[in-house]
Amino acid sequence: MQHEAIIGLEIHVELNCLTKMFCDCPNRPGDEPNRNTCPVCLWLPGALPRFSREALEKAAVACLALNCEIQKRSAFDQKVYYYPDLPKGYQLSQAHYPLARGGWLDVVDEKGAPKRLRIRHIHIEEDVAKLVHELEGRTPVSLVDFNRAGAPLVEIVTEPDIRSPYEAMEFIRNLRTQIRYVGSSECSMETGTMRVDANISIREQGSTAMNTKVEVKNMNSIRHLGDAIAYEIERQKASLQSGEAIVLHTRLWDPEKGVTLPMRGKFEGPCVPDPSVPEIVVSEEWIGRMRGLLPEMPALKTARFQRDYELPRELAVSLAGDRELSDYFEAVTRKSVAPRTAAHWLMTQYLPSLKERQLPIAGNPVTPDRFAGVLLRLEKDEINANAAREVLSRLFESDETPDAIIEQGGYRQVSDASSLETLVEQVLGSHPAAINDYRSGQGKALGFLIGQVMQASSGKANPRRVREILVSKLT
Amino acid sequence: MSGIFAYRDGGSVVSGEGLLKGSSISVQANMSVAGWPTEAGSLALKGFKAIEDATVVKSLRDQGASIVGSTRMSELGLGLCGDEAARAVAEGFSAIALVTEHLGEARLSAAKAGLIGYKPSYGLVSRHGLLGLIPSMETIGILARSAADIATVMAAASGRDERDFSMPVEEVPDFLNGSGQPGIRTLGWIRESAACLETDDRKAFQRCLEGFAKAGLTPVEKSMKEFDLFRTVHQIIGSVEASSSAGKYDGVRFGYRTPSAKNWNEMYLKTRGEIFGPVIKPFLFQGAYYQFMEYDVFEKACRLRSHLMREVQRLLGEVDALVMPAVRRGFDPFEAASVPALYDAFLFTLPANLTGLPAVCFPFDDGGQARCPGVQIIGSRLSDAGLLALAGERMQTTTKES
Repeated sequence: MQHEAIIGLEIHVELNCLTKMFCDCPNRPGDEPNRNTCPVCLWLPGALPRFSREALEKAAVACLALNCEIQKRSAFDQKVYYYPDLPKGYQLSQAHYPLARGGWLDVVDEKGAPKRLRIRHIHIEEDVAKLVHELEGRTPVSLVDFNRAGAPLVEIVTEPDIRSPYEAMEFIRNLRTQIRYVGSSECSMETGTMRVDANISIREQGSTAMNTKVEVKNMNSIRHLGDAIAYEIERQKASLQSGEAIVLHTRLWDPEKGVTLPMRGKFEGPCVPDPSVPEIVVSEEWIGRMRGLLPEMPALKTARFQRDYELPRELAVSLAGDRELSDYFEAVTRKSVAPRTAAHWLMTQYLPSLKERQLPIAGNPVTPDRFAGVLLRLEKDEINANAAREVLSRLFESDETPDAIIEQGGYRQVSDASSLETLVEQVLGSHPAAINDYRSGQGKALGFLIGQVMQASSGKANPRRVREILVSKLT
Repeated sequence: MSGIFAYRDGGSVVSGEGLLKGSSISVQANMSVAGWPTEAGSLALKGFKAIEDATVVKSLRDQGASIVGSTRMSELGLGLCGDEAARAVAEGFSAIALVTEHLGEARLSAAKAGLIGYKPSYGLVSRHGLLGLIPSMETIGILARSAADIATVMAAASGRDERDFSMPVEEVPDFLNGSGQPGIRTLGWIRESAACLETDDRKAFQRCLEGFAKAGLTPVEKSMKEFDLFRTVHQIIGSVEASSSAGKYDGVRFGYRTPSAKNWNEMYLKTRGEIFGPVIKPFLFQGAYYQFMEYDVFEKACRLRSHLMREVQRLLGEVDALVMPAVRRGFDPFEAASVPALYDAFLFTLPANLTGLPAVCFPFDDGGQARCPGVQIIGSRLSDAGLLALAGERMQTTTKES
């Protein structure tokens, strides 16, 4: 019997707002414990929540980036549950009237076919406090850190359109790109600014039934998300084959063992309207203003890069997928560097250099201006590719201009005919065998000879000119 | 005296300049005054001290009032366990007393003591710093000897507070220069509410209506078949909100904590079992029950609440204000020791809390036949100043004629 998996995701994204959602405390959960607190986010008696406009705006642009429709009216509910990380007894969330509904993201599935995955809704909610379990001497203690309490989150709930771990991973990658683009969050599963839970059920191929689902949590990378879903699908198939019933519950992914383990029965607390935070009412005009805050999104930018810069699709996708990188690329092209050269050098030289040195795109010493300076000299044949790579590397360590480095380092390539002819004569004189090989039709002897000339010039000869001279001498 | 106050300010009671210069005001033990014990009549808050002043306290002090102490109160402010706030005024400890209104506590306390009691339109006074229980209905209520005193307090206390987002953005009534709108001429009385009175009470209420007529107002008989739904709907929604509000009372960071628990889970359960008294506990249980077991009943109650609000609004479109009895013989709010008894005692006052409308309750005595310890006028949203003006006029007449 063939089975297929039905997968839906619930994605919590921490918004990178300056303040928490219902008070003015700094939104920095990583600070020393309980530093960023006040009566409102400690949920002390008498304090009332004050909804942050910044949180609303960051959430709204994230919703628009995921092609959702912002609702003119949305409202907060109290999600009631009792646990030490929520000493108020309820979490402010939007259960009945979410901020946005009906979005989608396009992915390419493992067979290369495009597929549109739908988003059911996106709601805003406050984060709860963090529990830290420690030993004090030999006594186990649980400590509560309120820095995270009241931090602004959005929860993105997909339709159960996903059919494979691959699609889930692609969806999350795409979602991360979109939300990073609008600047609402870093969306890092590793650092916890994005948490992805997967709801998984299986059914016979061709059936339209929705069977009992199991929720899987605790994946802290996109790869683990894929692994956990793959494991859970196999586990459920095995259960079915052995005649075991699937029960609604939550499982935790154990990254060490590579398995999912049962955690608890799935608990859904009641959600009652909160009377203290007023309904969120937004106008068409406000939504338009939020839409106006969106940058050119990756799909449009990719198309433009293909069209205007005549880049191959794959290169355009890679550049456009990162907002800073694409901005950098365009800044380089504005310095009259040929777009293809700029794109190619960015992907093959510049990014690996950054990675090696663990530097960010913004704020590293090699500004678009300086990078363009190297590429322009390359394009004018004043330096060759080897020299350009070295100059680039020196740019990271020095404040000098590319021109100064080229001059001082003697990187300028030798192109004048007389110097090159002298070198060629020397090389030909010491390699008669290679000359014979070339003349007897072994083309690769030419490459050897070019290499020898380059070496003799300490890498500064213009390889194209060297080749021309060699060919004319040998024929 | 110790019977009246939960806490009395030991410091010098200096009053500043402003509208309330020389006024002494008592608050209730669930209204935050920085550094004062704020126990809200509950073990759940035993030893809890407010960190900062409630906005209302700050506003009153800014206008020169001195806050003399906080009066004892029923557990978490649901109902009335006694008449402490009224006694604070009647016995001269303060000219004005603030009482939290969930069901009509300020109005009934006033009615029992021959004072005037007032519940503002919902959202006119900030709730920041109020340790409330039913956020969609609760307001600061006011007890005083005269309507003018209440109006002055409201001039200082009302108005938008950016720390209470539930306050609507709207123009605040001008409490100092009268209602600013045509006075109240027609008074609708609801047949179904009068029918809840025993014969003697009903006769007294009818004589009050005649008294209003003599004074030039026009009582108009109205019908509202859903009248008996007010209490049910209030109880369902009120208990659900109270259950959420009381969720934070667990004895971990403040308040009483059980001395005997083997682990934290047991600590939570036992503490919550021990901190709530015999009236509030079943009320919170009811709320939790609707939340967890019968959510659709709660939703139905919310729809009915909207319906009731529309119905009252419809009546208020036909008359200038509604007149309603306040107290009933045999249903003493101070004696109400169970949730049903509470709802029996506050039957006539709770509609204003459920609908968010302003209401004023004052003794009616025209020196003749018309005598009633508390008659209640309920007006349209933000008609507060007009209601207080009417109450002031009627009470002045009373004084003159008696």
